[in-house]
Amino acid sequence: MYPWSSSSYGGQVPSAVNARTMPNGLDDQEKLLAEAIGAARKQAFHMNHFLDKERMLDSLKCASTMLSELRTSLLSPKSYYELYMAVTNELCHLELYLSEKSDKKTDLYELVQYSHTIVPRLYLLITVGIVYIKNDSTLKRSILKDLVEMCRGVQHPLRGLFLRNYLLQCTRNILPDVMVAENEHEGNVYDAIDFVLTNFAEMNKLWVRMQHQGHSSEKTRREKEREELKILVGTNLVRLSQLESATLETYQRLILPGILEQVVSCRDAIAQEYLMECIIQVFPDEFHLQTLDPFLKSCAQLETGVNVKNIIISLIERLAAYNQRSGKTSGNAIDAIIPAEVELFEVFSVQVANIVQTRMDMPLEDTISLQVALLSLAQKVYPDRVDYVDKVLGTTAQILQRMNMNNISHLLSVNQELSRLLRICIDFYNNALTIIQLHNFCPLLEKFDYTSRKSLALYLVMNILDNETTVPTADQADSLLTIITPLIKDDETNKESAAAAGNTSPDAEEFAEEQGVVARFIHLMRSAEPDMQYKMLQTARKHLGNGGGQRLKHVLPPLVFAAYQLAFKYKAIAEQDENWDKKCQKIVQYCHSTISALAKADLADLALRLYLQGALVIGEIGYTNHETVAYEFMTQAFSLYEDEISDSKAQLAAITLIMSTFEQMSCFGEENAEPLRTNCALAASKLLKKPDQCRGVVACAALFWSGKQNGEEMRDEKRTLDCLKKGARIASQCLDTGVQVQLYVELLNHYLFYFERGNSLITVAMLNQLIAKVNEELPNLEPSEETKQIESHYKNTLAHIRSRMESNDSTLEVSFAGITLN
Amino acid sequence: MLVLVLGDLHIPHRCSSLPAKFKKLLVPGRIHHILATGNICTKESYDYLKSLANDVHIVRGDFDENLTYPEQKVVTVGQFRIGLCHGHQVVPRGDPEALALIQRQLDVDILITGHTYKFEAYEHGNKFYINPGSATGAFNPLDTNVVPSFVLMDIQSTSVVTYVYQLIGDEVKVERIEYKKI
Repeated sequence: MYPWSSSSYGGQVPSAVNARTMPNGLDDQEKLLAEAIGAARKQAFHMNHFLDKERMLDSLKCASTMLSELRTSLLSPKSYYELYMAVTNELCHLELYLSEKSDKKTDLYELVQYSHTIVPRLYLLITVGIVYIKNDSTLKRSILKDLVEMCRGVQHPLRGLFLRNYLLQCTRNILPDVMVAENEHEGNVYDAIDFVLTNFAEMNKLWVRMQHQGHSSEKTRREKEREELKILVGTNLVRLSQLESATLETYQRLILPGILEQVVSCRDAIAQEYLMECIIQVFPDEFHLQTLDPFLKSCAQLETGVNVKNIIISLIERLAAYNQRSGKTSGNAIDAIIPAEVELFEVFSVQVANIVQTRMDMPLEDTISLQVALLSLAQKVYPDRVDYVDKVLGTTAQILQRMNMNNISHLLSVNQELSRLLRICIDFYNNALTIIQLHNFCPLLEKFDYTSRKSLALYLVMNILDNETTVPTADQADSLLTIITPLIKDDETNKESAAAAGNTSPDAEEFAEEQGVVARFIHLMRSAEPDMQYKMLQTARKHLGNGGGQRLKHVLPPLVFAAYQLAFKYKAIAEQDENWDKKCQKIVQYCHSTISALAKADLADLALRLYLQGALVIGEIGYTNHETVAYEFMTQAFSLYEDEISDSKAQLAAITLIMSTFEQMSCFGEENAEPLRTNCALAASKLLKKPDQCRGVVACAALFWSGKQNGEEMRDEKRTLDCLKKGARIASQCLDTGVQVQLYVELLNHYLFYFERGNSLITVAMLNQLIAKVNEELPNLEPSEETKQIESHYKNTLAHIRSRMESNDSTLEVSFAGITLN
Repeated sequence: MLVLVLGDLHIPHRCSSLPAKFKKLLVPGRIHHILATGNICTKESYDYLKSLANDVHIVRGDFDENLTYPEQKVVTVGQFRIGLCHGHQVVPRGDPEALALIQRQLDVDILITGHTYKFEAYEHGNKFYINPGSATGAFNPLDTNVVPSFVLMDIQSTSVVTYVYQLIGDEVKVERIEYKKI
């Protein structure tokens, strides 16, 4: 009945080593497991049977045989675990029975030692030992000590681990958990700590030893098996954390040093990584806060293969979460949660630096990830301490400096971590003004290559826009514009290499979008102080002026409009600021030079429109000398029109704009107004295409009618009519009858317009003449979509006349009588 | 049928974005057509309008660079012919009689124009005229107190209910004006 004579695997024992090196197939494992469990069950059945008959010795024999199944070396950790569960389950019956019958005073503790092999013997010893302790707690101290020492007898890793796990499970509820015991033999919490720490150390040694057994080609499989077993080792730490009498002081003095000593000295990466993580997870945050130094110091001593980064990040995240969690429930200030004497950030900062220094093998990405973690700690726990964040950025910059890392390519993976560092800052504050308080932000940013600097700049500006962060001072504007330089200028340091890199002209749409973002940002530089606003505009101009035509087109117009607005602001405070006049002059100069920069960059259309807007602004503000300057702006617009705009469609659009602008202006005296008026008329009549000429000249009529002379509408009946007549003459020269009729209908409408406005030189006869012309030509047109449009235009015009003729409205200044409609 | 009428955004020339309160009101999926009076200026603004409704009609404003936008356009919605024109071509600016010239030329029931940055909706000669103002309240040399505004038209068979949204101070005020086709 004893295991060594059992046929089930007696013959296989010598070959066990070989068997282990050969991976067992799945089926094989299942079969072996089924056999082992079957055998165990059979013995269990007998054991229970004997127990019922109170045949103690026989039942112990059966138990021993059953436990012998656990001596196998053939099972994988997973199968072994199942067997272990089945067997220990049965052992419970024995334990229960023994507890009930223990009054018999048989010396079971001695008896079970007769078991021939060590594995069953120790399992039985533990079972009986527990029964003893339960019956007489004064035995507790000595038996626990005895058991944990005796278990050393099993040095086979898998068997040893499970045996010690059994010990840990059985003692779960009976570990002494008091500071001072009534009877010293019952033991106190220190004995419990000692017990678990010893067990832990032994288990860890067994677990580590697994790594070094067997053939090196099976390393992966071994590591997988170890992975499956790690929780057995970790349970020791859980047990330690469950000791209620273990105070912070005990943790600091005994528990943590005990664990760390084992962790560091085992020199096994897998164990170290797992156990450090375990410590973080099982012990309370309050303990961690007080033991950061020893813990982090140990981190620096871990093996090279250990991912220290993950351990530290895990700890930081836990503490940050703890801080936020307790912060929420208590609603108190931050220092109330994390004791003031714990300088969390400083400790981490120093220790992380230490780790970075000692662990030369750590990849740079990991070093940066640590800085990211440190940063998020600073932000989560000390949201007000901008200097902490700045310090992290500084440290990071120094690390890069030491490694001589410059122009870090956006293609490198370390770049992503670094970018994350900066993006976290931007996202956290959601306020670009705080970002510029970080003195190390820029130095760190400069370590990146152009592409990533640009994308970070864009990220920052988008953040400004999303949060509508207004920038109130020129210095702040200066700092921000410096940060976003890559958006404002081409890559200067690297021009050659950028050009060599395949002439990748940036996507035009993307470029326009980026510049649009910068342009929108300009409007957020806003100070309630006009003088400050002016300074800011100057600063912005300095930064934005060097980006080349492609950029100027986007970023200069906002400056000009912001300046125009500022001029109005000065006008509004004219009474408080006696220098408003001079300041307005300066602003206008600023606009003038900015617009001429656009004109020089071949952006004539845009410059022309800005000059016209400027003329309107100057006219409205009316500071000293404004007339001359407004005239200058108009003439600038004219010369751009004459010299730079050649497309006929653009010409018509431009001259119409010049005229409509001029028509609204009332600041000009006659000596300035007259040349402008004549020039408009001249320019209109010189347009290339006849229909354009016609429309231009007709539009010009407004200048002589509603255009201003000494602040009043001009109402020059003759020159208004001259324009219309000239228009009619040009229309008559059109060869295309369709276009001609269309122009006549338009002319008729314009004649009517001034007729209704009371231009006495326009007679009913003239209107009749036009109507007759249209009546004559219209029926001859080819039927087409255009013809239809002309017909309805004409029909609407006639309907308008008819309604005027029928109207009894006494306010009408003129008589429509005599118009022949048919 | 809901028609959004807006224009003279001037982003990024004159302002950084639409007022946040307007953006909140303008949600995708409720508007059927958009009629924009011009000065949309950038592709981003156009894309934004496109995200609100698929059918977007734009005419060219004086600060629009996009040469493909027409100067004038006629859109038919229900039984209404609606004319669209930015209005910088009209001299004198915003003059009802001068606008009537365009109404007659385009042969429309409703004429929508911009350029004055001032909301207006009125009947003139039995036709309806709408100026949605500037949706961003863009700077205008001739009017230093521009109120941001846009218009929603609810077009039923023969009537149009016009809602004007104006941002006065920090509050959006809505007014309702009705127009019936004769």
